[in-house]
Amino acid sequence: MEVNRKKLINLFIENISNAILHRILEKAVEDDVIRRYYDKEFLNSFEIAKKYREKINPVDDKLPDSSEIKGIIIKRVNNELKIRISKGYKNIDLSLVESAANTILSELKIN
Amino acid sequence: MVILAGKISKGTLMDQIYIPKERPLGFELGAPVVIKPAIEEAEIKAVYYNVDKLEPIKVMIIQNIFSELSALDNIIVTGSFLERGFQFNDIDVILINDKKTDPKKIEQHLNKLFDLNFHIIALDYNILLKGLETDPLYQAMLSRYVAKKRLIFRYKNKINYKLLDLHLLKSNLLIKNFDYLTGSQKYDMTRNLMAIFLFLNNRKISNAVIDGEIKKLLKEKAESIKHNIINKALFLKEFKGLYNKIFDRILDGVKNGSE
Repeated sequence: MEVNRKKLINLFIENISNAILHRILEKAVEDDVIRRYYDKEFLNSFEIAKKYREKINPVDDKLPDSSEIKGIIIKRVNNELKIRISKGYKNIDLSLVESAANTILSELKIN
Repeated sequence: MVILAGKISKGTLMDQIYIPKERPLGFELGAPVVIKPAIEEAEIKAVYYNVDKLEPIKVMIIQNIFSELSALDNIIVTGSFLERGFQFNDIDVILINDKKTDPKKIEQHLNKLFDLNFHIIALDYNILLKGLETDPLYQAMLSRYVAKKRLIFRYKNKINYKLLDLHLLKSNLLIKNFDYLTGSQKYDMTRNLMAIFLFLNNRKISNAVIDGEIKKLLKEKAESIKHNIINKALFLKEFKGLYNKIFDRILDGVKNGSE
């Protein structure tokens, strides 16, 4: 199926937001022993996002709209986390979102 | 392949094996050959749990996996490989060993050896038990298996809402990527959602129960999802409805303080 750039970027944002959300929530799980075995889901979202990234031009360089993309991702992840915090979730560190986004986006050559 | 059998006899400087002058193709003078003892390696008697029938070639592969990893305490083969036919994506293998095992290394080794895709999880017995207590997918995975040794588990479901929230994220991908997923990816995400639903309701989790509930609650046959022939609008409506109900219940659980 042919997908246009805008749609690809949206799909990329959805999946990478899911991956970052997973990474942050993982840290909120108190059980250390179990937690170690649950990074698989992060990888699922990350791998899907990576496939979309490979179809967005320029493939080997920073995206011109990288700061806009980063902004949307941070906003989405923060919203999801705030829903949880309002329901009584503890140990969620909102300050981790930006650094997690920076790391992942650099890895995927977005910024 | 033609096999010739012979006996080692005593020679003066070296011992030898005599083979007939009239030989099949491949046994010409100068052809390289392999000799190995004709005594069969002892076959490991595998334990089949909820697996009625398995194609002979799959039985052979499982036997070879067990022999290859014979040093480990227990080996469990599970997942779609045990379903009828050959439409499996990979071979799920759980390795149970008290000593630390590198699953990636073993995965690469088996991939190369069998020219198939393996997915290896390595853990010790206590972690497996903990996984069964808290993870619906572990329960689904171990509702059907072939193992080197019999497994005896005694556990009670322990609901850890934060972990269930993590598991649920996997099914969220179906809503976001519907048009771009294969049938088997959609089925995995649906199965995950249903396993969480059953777990929260303290119900038994097995492939048959999951497929039955998919039909009942999402109005779609598991087979149709696997073959990617579903009515998108109807299916997504039911899926999102159930997803939101489960998500709300998980957040209520977190709110009420049970982890």
